[in-house]
Formats: sequence, C-alpha cells, structure tokens
Amino acid sequence: MNWFTNTLWTSVGKKLLMAVTGLFFCVFLALHLVGNLTIYAGKDAFNSYAEHLHSLGPLLTAAEWGMLLFALIHICTGLLLFYQNFTARPERYAVNKRAGGRTLGSATMPYTGVILLLFVIYHLFNFHFVDKTHTTIFQIVSTAFSKPSYVVIYTFAMIVAAVHVSHGFWSAFQTLGANHPKYTPFLKGLSLVFSLIVGIGFGFIPIYVSLLV
Amino acid sequence: MLDAKIPSGPLSEKWDKHRFELKLVNPANKRKYNIIVVGTGLAGGSAAASLAELGYYVKNFCIQDSPRRAHSIADQGGINAAKNYQNDGDSIWRLFYDTIKGGDFRAREANVYRLAQVSNHIIDHCVAQGIPFAREYGGLLANRSFGGAQVSRTFYARGQTGQQLLLGAYSSLMRQVGAGQVTLFPRREMLDLVVINGQVRGVVVRNLVTGDIESHAADAVVMCTGGYGNVFYLSTNAMASNVSATYRAYKKGAFFANPCYTQIHPTCIPVHGTYQSKLTLMSESLRNDGRVWVPKATGDKRPPNQIPESERNYYLERKYPSFGNLVPRDVASRNAKAQCDMGKGVGETGFAVYLDFKDAIRRDGKDVIAQKYGNLFQMYEKITASNPYEDPMMIYPAIHYVMGGLWVDYNLMSTLPGLFVLGEANFSDHGANRLGASALMQGLADGYFVIPYTIGGYLAQMDHTEVTTDHSAFKEATQYVNEQTGKLLSINGKRTVDDFHRELGNILWEYCGMSRNDDGLLKARKLIQELREEFWKNALVPGLSEDFNQSLERAGRVADFLEFAELLVMDAFERKESCGGHFNEAHQTEEQEAMRDDENFCHVAAWEYKGDDTEPGRHKEPLVFENVELTQRSYK
Amino acid sequence: MTKSINITLNVWRQKSAGVKGGFETYHAANISTDMSFLEMIDVVNEQLTLDGRDPIAFDHDCREGICGMCGAVVNGRAHGPEEGTTLCQLHMRYFSNGDTIVIEPWRAKAFPILKDLAVDRSAFDEIIVAGGYISVNTGGAPDANAIPISQEIAEKAMDAAACIGCGACVASCPNASAMLFAGAKISQLALLPQGRPEAAQRALAMVRKMDELCFGNCSNERECEAECPKEISISNIARMNREFFKAGIGSAVM
Repeated sequence: MNWFTNTLWTSVGKKLLMAVTGLFFCVFLALHLVGNLTIYAGKDAFNSYAEHLHSLGPLLTAAEWGMLLFALIHICTGLLLFYQNFTARPERYAVNKRAGGRTLGSATMPYTGVILLLFVIYHLFNFHFVDKTHTTIFQIVSTAFSKPSYVVIYTFAMIVAAVHVSHGFWSAFQTLGANHPKYTPFLKGLSLVFSLIVGIGFGFIPIYVSLLV
Repeated sequence: MLDAKIPSGPLSEKWDKHRFELKLVNPANKRKYNIIVVGTGLAGGSAAASLAELGYYVKNFCIQDSPRRAHSIADQGGINAAKNYQNDGDSIWRLFYDTIKGGDFRAREANVYRLAQVSNHIIDHCVAQGIPFAREYGGLLANRSFGGAQVSRTFYARGQTGQQLLLGAYSSLMRQVGAGQVTLFPRREMLDLVVINGQVRGVVVRNLVTGDIESHAADAVVMCTGGYGNVFYLSTNAMASNVSATYRAYKKGAFFANPCYTQIHPTCIPVHGTYQSKLTLMSESLRNDGRVWVPKATGDKRPPNQIPESERNYYLERKYPSFGNLVPRDVASRNAKAQCDMGKGVGETGFAVYLDFKDAIRRDGKDVIAQKYGNLFQMYEKITASNPYEDPMMIYPAIHYVMGGLWVDYNLMSTLPGLFVLGEANFSDHGANRLGASALMQGLADGYFVIPYTIGGYLAQMDHTEVTTDHSAFKEATQYVNEQTGKLLSINGKRTVDDFHRELGNILWEYCGMSRNDDGLLKARKLIQELREEFWKNALVPGLSEDFNQSLERAGRVADFLEFAELLVMDAFERKESCGGHFNEAHQTEEQEAMRDDENFCHVAAWEYKGDDTEPGRHKEPLVFENVELTQRSYK
Repeated sequence: MTKSINITLNVWRQKSAGVKGGFETYHAANISTDMSFLEMIDVVNEQLTLDGRDPIAFDHDCREGICGMCGAVVNGRAHGPEEGTTLCQLHMRYFSNGDTIVIEPWRAKAFPILKDLAVDRSAFDEIIVAGGYISVNTGGAPDANAIPISQEIAEKAMDAAACIGCGACVASCPNASAMLFAGAKISQLALLPQGRPEAAQRALAMVRKMDELCFGNCSNERECEAECPKEISISNIARMNREFFKAGIGSAVM
C-alpha cells in the first residue's frame, strides 16, 4: 500500500480527500434538502418520507457508517491541513490585505468547518439519537422549533453551511483538476447558487416550522 | 604575437576537423576531473550542465540566490539560428556573413562561422528541453526578423526569450545537481583566481551571506561572468553585473581584449532623474513596426500627436532607405544622439526620440500589435505612465552589452592555461558590434556546444599534479582578498560607493560613450585616476566583512570598475579608427558614418596587466579575412 | 505628472537568520513619484549610510521585473498594491504624500529570513531539482520542427513558463503554499509533448519534495494568482493535481 499512502498522504492527496468527501457531503446536502422539503407538503408527507427512509434498513445503516467514515476523513484531514498551514508561516504578517482572491467562504473554511461539526453533533442529538417510538419525526421537529433558541441556532448554522459550501463546492472541482476556461466560471456560479439553495432551503425550514406552531 | 589556434583548412570544415583532432578524455576518467564554472547565465548554466552530463564533476558558483536569476534572463527579443525555416534565403553562410559584417569586420572568421554552424543545434536542444517558443498555427516554429537582418531567423518566446532559454539551461543544470554531478554555490562572488605552476587551479570566493572567504580547487576554471556594462553606472545590466571576476583574472595574467567595444542599445527608456539606478531596455523588435522620428523644427515642444506628418523627420527611413528603422544598433544609436545634439530631442530632458506605432496600429490593427508587443507596451506604461497605443514611445540609447572581454583562443581558453571564458565575458564572436538576437546564441553555443569539446582537449594534456586548497597560492589569494575588504571597510570617508559609481558613469558616458575623441579620452583618463584616488580616501563602506553586507559587495565592484574604466579609456584612445560600437570622431566618412582603418587596426587589442603602477601592455592579434571581403558597412 | 512626496516607512529589520527582528521607522523626504520602489529604498539607504547606520538589506537584481530576485510585502500585499507587477516595477506614483508604508519580508517557514528583507528561497531550487526538467542531454535532440505543437498548447505552456520564481505566491498564500510555483512548472512540461515521457515521475517527485520542504497546503484561496507578478493562473494548479492523480493512481511509477 506504499504507493497508496505516498499518493494520498501528500498535500495534493489530502486535498483530494477533502474534495471527494466534501463533494459527497454536497450530494448528501442536496438529498437531505429534497427530503426536508417534503415538510412543505405537510406533516404526513414529511413523516412518510422519514418512514420510507427508515424502511431502507441495513442500506441506511451502511450509508450512515459510510457517512461517518467520510466525516472522519473530512474532519481529520481538514484539521491536519489547518495545523500544517498554520505552522507553514510561524511568524505572521503585521499587515494583511487581500489581493482579491480570498472570499468570505475561503478565508473562513476551517472555522465554518468546526462550527458545522459542532452543529452536526448537536443536530444528531436533537433529531437522530432520540427515542422515536412514541412520536413522529414531524412532532420532534415542530417541538424543537417551537423554541426560538433552536430556530436561531439552526438558521445561523445554515448560513454557516452556505458560506462553507460557497467555497467548498467549486474548490473541490478545482482540486480534482476540473479547471477549464469554458466551464470554471459556470462552476463558480453554480457554487454560489448551490450555497444559496443550501442556506435558504435549509435555513427557512426552522422559521417555517416555528410559524406553523 | 597571440596565437588564436585557429584550425587550418576551409572555413566550413574547421570545426569538424578540430573536433576530430582534439584529444578526448576517457569516459571513466571524466569523473576524476573537477571543473569550476563561475556564473549560471546562458553560458555558465549551459556549460555546467553539459560538462556534468559528460561526467565531469562540476562546482558552479553564482552571485544571486539562485542560478535562475542570471541576467541572461532579461533578454527579450530572441535567438538567431540559420534554420532557414522561412525559406527566405538564410543559411549558415549568411548568418556568418551578417555577424561578421554587423561586427564591423573586427571578429574572427573561424569563431563566427562555428557560431553560425552550431546555432541550429541550439534551437533543437532548446525545443527538446521544453522551451515554449512561439509557433505558427500549423504547430511549427515561428520566426521574426530582428534588428539589422533581412531574413527572419529569430526564434522567440513572446518578449521573454532570454528568460525561457535561461530557465531551460537552469533546468538541465538542476537535473545535474539532482544527479550529484554539480554542486551549487549560490550567493558567492568570485574575488580571485588561483594560478599554480602556470595553470589555473581554483578560485577564491566570498560567501555573500556569512562573509566567509572560501577556497575551491579544480582542474580547470570556466568563467561565465557576463559583461562590464555597469562600469557606466546606468546601463540595462542587472545591478549585480560587474567586472570583478574578469578584471581579477586580468590581474592574474589573462589578457583583456577590446574593452572599448561597448554596445549602446538604441531603444531604451530615457533617463528621468539623478536617483535612477538602471535603464530599461525595450526590445529591439519594436523597431520592426515602430517608426523613429523627431520634430523637424528645433525645440518643438508640442505633444507628439499635434505635430503634423509634414513636420516630422523620420530620419532613419530617410537616411537609410533600404534598412530604414532596422539599421544596426550602433547606427541607430548614433543617429539618435546626433538628432538630440542638434536640439531635436523630445521629452522633458530633450534626450529622447519618438518610436511611433500609429501607422502599424492603423495597418495591422491594435490586436495584432498587442499580440506582438503587448508585454513590452505594458512594461513601458508601468515605468513611464504613458500609453504607447495612444502616444508614441520615447526612447534613447543606453549601454546594453559589451563586445570586449577576456581574450580567448578558438578553444575559448584565455592566455592563462586552464582558464576558459564563455559568453559575454569573452570577446570572441561579435567584433566591434553585436547584432540583435546574437547574445543568446553565443552564450548557449559556447556552453552547450563548444566548451564540452575544447575543455577535454586541455584536460587530456594538462599537468595533473594534485592541488588542494591547502596550497600556499590559495592562502595568498585569501589573504589578498581579506586585505582588500579590510581596506574598503577602514576608509571610513564621507561619500557613498554609489556616489562614486555614479560619477564614474558620468565620466565614461560623457567622454567614452556613443562617440569619442582623443582630447575627451585623455581627460576622462585623468578624471578616472583622480576619482579612484578619492575613492580610496573618501569612500564610506559601512558594516562588517563577516556579514550579509551589500554595501561591501558594491564597494569591491566599484573599486574594480574604477581601475577597469581606465583600461577601457586607454583602449579607446589607442584604437585610432571608428568601428561598430567604438566611434572616434576623428575617423568618420563625410556622411558621419564610422570609418575603419583596416590597414592599421584590423586586429584585436589584448591588454596585459603589468602591475598597478606600470602601463599595461597592448598585444595584437591580427584578424585575417580569407572568406569575406572587408567593405564599408552600408545600410542605405 | 512627476511630483515629490514625503512618506514614512516601517521596515522589518532583522540582523540575521533566527534572531529576533522588529520594525524600524524611517522618513523619506522628496521622493519623486517617477522613482521605482527600490530606487526609493536606495535613497533611504544612501541616507542611512551617511548617517552611520546599517542600510536596509534587500534582494534585487535586474530591476526590470524578470529576474524574480526582488520582493517584499508592502502594506500587506506581496510586491505592493499594483497588480501584475514586481516590486522593482512598482512606482512611487502609487503612493501619496504622507503615506505610511509597512515593508515586510516574505514570511514562510520554507523561506527563512537572511537579513532584513532578504530571504532564502533555495527551497524553490530544490523543487526544481526534484523534477522540474526534461531529461535531455546536450547533443541528442531531433530537429526542432520534428514535432509540431499547436499554438494553443505552446501559448498555454508559455503562460505557465512565465514564472519568475520570485516567491510572491508563497508569500501571499494564507497557507504559505508553493503550489502555484510547482503547478506552473509541472504544467509547462506536462503540456508539451517533449515533457510527457517523464510527466508522472515529475509530478510525484515535485509534489513530494514541496511537502518535505514544509510549504503549506493549497486551499484554493486564489491569493497567489491575484498577487503573481506574471499573473499565472491557478488552472496550472488544477493541471498539477490532474497530473499528480494520474501519476499516483493511474501510472506504474511509485
């Protein structure tokens, strides 16, 4: 496996890991959002979406474990890169000014990443690791979002996610080597659109739900 | 009498014959030889790489922090080769003839012919190295015509040909560093040459970071340390370009040839203030499309766009109908000076002429012009804050290149056995004037295709007594260098080194620049002597020797310039003719063109150092022309 | 229009590698706006010398923007505020009377400071030693026109080859990464047919060497591209990544 680690354990290899896992999470976000949107069709639609999902059984478990693995890769590699990048410049500049390349998203990747990690743990404890025997997912969600603090936290987290994705999405393509004078501008645009969809799509749900109750 | 060791036989067979006659070093023995290469420009980089490829062990020194920074990098225009890809009548013979004629018949036939012969191999090799030369739509190499040539034989990589060729040589060099064949010593300045039993066996260098004086022994030394144009203070050379290495070799016994042959490049951005540290060249290729003019009326201060066509003097086109704006550099430069001396000069200082692209833009469209010269226009605008697409450029001649250098024979060996000199540092191929796009050609020819053969011929027959840096000659050289730096640091005067350098430059530019006369040269010599005397009493060199001390570096270089400048002026004084870059006002035709004296001065003047207080000796190497007829250069 | 301005400089001074440095303040009076930035430092240095103080050490050579020797971070921008410009080609007309200018050396673990503004960039040479070449010995090349190369490819290779190795990409990268430098060389040689035979070997060796030298990792912030005096595009980094994956996963090269 020497060639394998020698490839993946380089700077470019680690970027590859970030890009592949990151894109996976983009796909996940898209699917998750599609599922969540059923909430606009009403309580029953939302509950039946959840039921359908759970009926997948072992497939779902496999997906969950896979996701955990990807998350671990994304998080560990990200933290390692953050550490390495920090130590690559032991003495910082007294004056920092952007030349025009950096964006809000790109400059805050490690920080938005950590916030999202905390959020995901929080989110899982809210909606995933809860006893669902005597209740429906819609009930759990609407109970949660009846509390303003939840709405604020979730909406904020979704803004953070949008910021993270705004850089992450096109950046993953760049890392994978997909840079082309014809298509890269489109990808950058798509990155922005996708981040808006994530931000608005997810971010509006807590507000919507809180208005329902 | 100097023996150039030119092989006998017909011109076109000399090099082949010589290569056969040169002794070879057994491949197994090559690794036993150490060769020092000083400099990493086109000549040094290519020589170090090629010698290492052959199996020699090479130590390579450079003054900058990386071999990739040598000043060859600044060449913009291109490199000549007699490929005749354009089917426009070029040939090895024509490139040879153009170079000899362009050099005003003051170069060796045999050397120049060899240069033209190997020019084609250079292009092949450079393409194989991955140099992205400009190409036609069909994928074949593109050519352009270049200053003074009537065929398109110049290969180019945008306006960065020198950079690309240098990076090519650099990459080959770095490959050999990786292979362990070359050891690199960056940030080192050569301060002395070590001669033992009549053979050059090493160098003494200063580590510019720590200030340590280091000794290095070898079986031969190859010096590729560039030209001395900075003796004029303002030139297009890089700030670190200097004469010290070659001058110290001269003091150790190598003859210095034709120091008065300095080239003034016609298309530089004019001087604009006393603080100015260097001049910037605009590639000569601009003259392919730009038209040179001045107002007809003296002191016409109108903006150029308000001067009607009828009141403009396109003096080059008028005077030289067949070559027009493409006359050789010396002719273009002298004419610009003549116009300014008549009060026709433009710009704030009056020392500038216009180079106008209006007609070219009208003819070809802005896009075509931008594609050809975009980066040059951009550079011009950056420096002058004026847009050449709208207003004509202002240009003025500046010191750019020196044809003079250490004397070498056909093998590129100096008068000191074991000291080879390549590239601009030697004097060999350009005569009294260098044609555009020939400097890159010569540097690479010397390094890639000449020295690998000729050094073998020397090594195979030299005396191989082992020499280490413990030898007393190294100790003496180190002591000399230490004394010199000690002296510089202890003057503790009131004027900065740059101030002296600037004054020296003014003296030379005034009296030994584009045109020279005997009175001026005598005066210059006296002024230089006085300035040198003052330097050693009143220079202020701060800091320590055991330190990263850029003031000390400059002081050492200026000290050498102050001595060398006198030699330059003496050489100019002794050459009682005009040829190429050397224009003596007493020797001109009725039309103010340079007039050679082939009867008395068809020779190379090589100077021998005889001590600080003794006049140097002037030796002659007669130039024999068996294949070309000496003519008055005419570009009409 | 030429003007004279007075400015204040805050310059990083450091005696030698590894010792503590700090900012010192100098006043530069009557600076012509036609001066280049380095000529302005020359003027300050002349005065420092005459005042018996140690002049500011800084690297520079060609002063026409091609050798790549000069460079400093000026008010937080590598090579100063103007785009596509080296420090030597930055002119004082970009500053106004009364400005305070903060000048710092390139800062990166891989570029240790030698003195004041001069840094050691030999790490770049080491990256090239690892594989930034085509293995061709002098003498054996076929005719230069033997392999046609489309103009588009030649131009792209030239875009990448324009790198002057100044280190601004590393200096401006928030992560002190050298990927634009390495990417430009890998791209240039990977684009050309002459460079293909060694492409896999080269990509792996250069990337590994770059990591070994403690440069940071690329996070696609594009500051390098924005600060590069030769405006080299990050599409070269993408190409390097492709070459690297092809070599690491698809080729037989270990």
